Amino acid sequence: MSVIVKRARAAAALASDRTAEEYAPARYEARTITKSFGGANALTGASVTIEPGEIHTLVGENGAGKSTMLKVMAGIHPQDSGDLVLNGTHLRGLTPRTAIGHGIYLVPQEPSLMLTLSALENLFVGIIPRGSMAFSVDWKAMESSAGAYFQQVGLHIDPWAPASQLSIAEQQLLECARALAHRCNVIFFDEPTSPLTAREADVLFELMRRLRERNFTIAFISHRLEEVLAISDRITVLRDSRVVAHFDNPKQTSHRQLVEAMVGHEIAVRQRRQRDLSGAEAVLELKDLGAPDGAFADISFMARRGEVLGLAGLVGSGRTETAESVFGMRRASGTVLLAGKPYAHRSPSSSIESGLIYLPEDRGHNGVFANVEVVRNITAAFVPHLPKRGQLLHPRAEVEVAEKAARRTRVVAPSLDVPMKALSGGNQQRAMFARWLLAEPKVAIFDEPTRGVDVGAKVDIYGIIDTISDSGVAVVMISSELEELVLLCDRVLAIYEGRIVGEVTGDEITLERLGAMVVGGGASERD
Amino acid sequence: MSATEASAGKLAVDEPRRAPLLSRTLRRREPMLVVVTLAIFGLTSAAQPHFALQGNISFLLASAMPLAVVAVGETVVMLVRGIDLSVAPVLGIAAVSTGFIAQDSHVSVLSMLPLALAIGIGLGFVNGLFVTYARIPPIIATLGTFTVYGGIEQLICNSRTVVTLPTSWINLGTHDFLPDVPYILVPGVLVTIAMALILWRTRWGRSIYAFGANAEAAFRAGIRVKAIEISAYTVCGMLAGLAGLIYVVQVGSAGYNTGSEISIQLQAIACGLIGGTTLTGGKGGVVGSFFAAIFLTVALEGVIVAGIAYQWQSAGVGVLLLVAILIDAYQNRQGRSVSEALRSVLGGHKPVQQEASS
Repeated sequence: MSVIVKRARAAAALASDRTAEEYAPARYEARTITKSFGGANALTGASVTIEPGEIHTLVGENGAGKSTMLKVMAGIHPQDSGDLVLNGTHLRGLTPRTAIGHGIYLVPQEPSLMLTLSALENLFVGIIPRGSMAFSVDWKAMESSAGAYFQQVGLHIDPWAPASQLSIAEQQLLECARALAHRCNVIFFDEPTSPLTAREADVLFELMRRLRERNFTIAFISHRLEEVLAISDRITVLRDSRVVAHFDNPKQTSHRQLVEAMVGHEIAVRQRRQRDLSGAEAVLELKDLGAPDGAFADISFMARRGEVLGLAGLVGSGRTETAESVFGMRRASGTVLLAGKPYAHRSPSSSIESGLIYLPEDRGHNGVFANVEVVRNITAAFVPHLPKRGQLLHPRAEVEVAEKAARRTRVVAPSLDVPMKALSGGNQQRAMFARWLLAEPKVAIFDEPTRGVDVGAKVDIYGIIDTISDSGVAVVMISSELEELVLLCDRVLAIYEGRIVGEVTGDEITLERLGAMVVGGGASERD
Repeated sequence: MSATEASAGKLAVDEPRRAPLLSRTLRRREPMLVVVTLAIFGLTSAAQPHFALQGNISFLLASAMPLAVVAVGETVVMLVRGIDLSVAPVLGIAAVSTGFIAQDSHVSVLSMLPLALAIGIGLGFVNGLFVTYARIPPIIATLGTFTVYGGIEQLICNSRTVVTLPTSWINLGTHDFLPDVPYILVPGVLVTIAMALILWRTRWGRSIYAFGANAEAAFRAGIRVKAIEISAYTVCGMLAGLAGLIYVVQVGSAGYNTGSEISIQLQAIACGLIGGTTLTGGKGGVVGSFFAAIFLTVALEGVIVAGIAYQWQSAGVGVLLLVAILIDAYQNRQGRSVSEALRSVLGGHKPVQQEASS
């Protein structure tokens, strides 16, 4: 057989319409799935059924188990117990490879492309067609068939360009194209829209709708409840590793119903505190703070003694960058005043010494020492002040210090000698609060303090913030959850694209007002 | 959920439970190593009674000391998630420099101590500069300095070797101050105890562990991370320099390839790993490395005494290393130690139930 004929056949096989439609429509069930990581349950007897021709959305707070559910269903994490049933067939010992064989593909939160390889190689990775000799690669066949897949997902790119040159949105579309190239008709999207702009997200939704028309089985995760209500055919709500609610008719479902199902009722009953702090002295003052890379500019505000000041804004609006500049992690122009005195050469160590602390948003990477005992996690920023015997630290005294701090923030642990990773997200965060309260702050910046914690820990964290602000600490609270800003803050600043666009105080702080301000509109003018 | 947490919370924080002393001890690597070392020693002695003769025990302990001191330093670098391949020529340079001076002008061992330490501090500091400020991955940086320092060692030797040391040096290297306790053991033990205390109970030591466990979190917790990382390489170099002096005293000779000849850098890394320190940083300690050095020396001598060809030695190091790594990997996967696992297999012991949440 001639080389040309072989190549033509290979190309035909790759590009044929033998795409997902040839598979029977897939009804994919996960039955009573339980999965734990290092002692913490990520899923507890959770069941989901995804029908062909539907977009089925999983919602829930961070850590509720949504991603874990899809990862189990895509063979990335083996479940501890429970069954996966595809069109009546039990799938056992599922791995990503066998999942793709069954037509199941997960488009991950962060695109998992090989950035140094071309779009083409990324598209066919795992099924690269062989050329005329058994060990060569049939580049021509790949190139001639790739166009069809790129077209189906609406990608207009050079197939030979390395994936690193693609935008995040294009990388996600390439992931979808890869799913199609691998003939998958069960496609999961794990929080695909969080790094996308609104327009890019619309392109993705359009693709999802087209796939739905082709009777694909689609699961979706998102935190943006508006888009969830707009695109979903059915919604499953997870909370604390369990499925707690289903909404079969999203068109008739309100934003509020969804939120209540996600968080339970505990938070809603908390009352705003009414305090007038306008006369209190300013302990932290920022004057015209700007980042060299333009992440934020002209940031000027002050935080008063005992005040809880909220910084509202979208992810990427510059809130974290501002906070990190104040704490001394990145350079910025402008002036910072701490208790009235200029604070110029900023670094984390000198900030902590002068009573300015910063709880980072990414607890896993920037906060905890996962393999280290809870005790030492709690005392990590307090080591210079720990009791000593001669020149040496006093281990028993250290444990007492840590226990006292842990009790204050209600850390629950089998013992403080276990490694930090054995604790749940909520307890890790309680321990982080214990660490930073030990430093006896005058100004405390909390960046997304309730991210990835359960409802009980949330309530505790709100209590801690109340207590320390009552004791005179100025709290700057960064949060994407507008509800908690409404509940906790005396004053809220909205940051949009690196600039302060509005300020609200007291009863002006409402969900509607904040919601409008964080997208750059409806702001009250600042004086 | 929150109700169960609250009740568990009282228990956890009000009456902190610590594991019983016995199981805490068994969980550690160091006692395990002592037991295994004694077992090997016993078995070999049973087969070849002269292995247990007084002079030989002393010799085994003494000949483990250069490696032990290098391993203690290497461990510090491993704790900051680094690696130092250049310790072999650092040891070599210190050995030949002090050795030549002693050979030529009959100075005392103690008077050479500052020189040995200074050589180590200087060369280790250079390693630290490359890793910390030039941001070169440690394995590449120290592979580079390994070659450069090896060249320097050859230049110093200039085709001479240290062979005729003063009698006072020879005596120090071969005599015991108690039966079976050689003088050479003293600096090794002192260095290990001092480093163990410094690492575990000073601010610097705690910063070393914090940096290795999560450099970013350490920086945010107010630790001066650059100074910590550079100091780890400096301390490692310093101890390699000290080990050079110990080496020349104990062996009585040194030459252009001292250190590199026995790949002491790889043996030291092996000791760190066998002693329970990981290459991923933040976990382990120097006491384990010290015992691992003795273990390795006894095991390798045992191989020879048992009549196995010495060519098997390096394979032996490799096998011991792999066993240690497998044990580590198992413990990481299971979240419990081998001894705990054994006891739960044998019955009676249940691992502490971890809290399930979120």
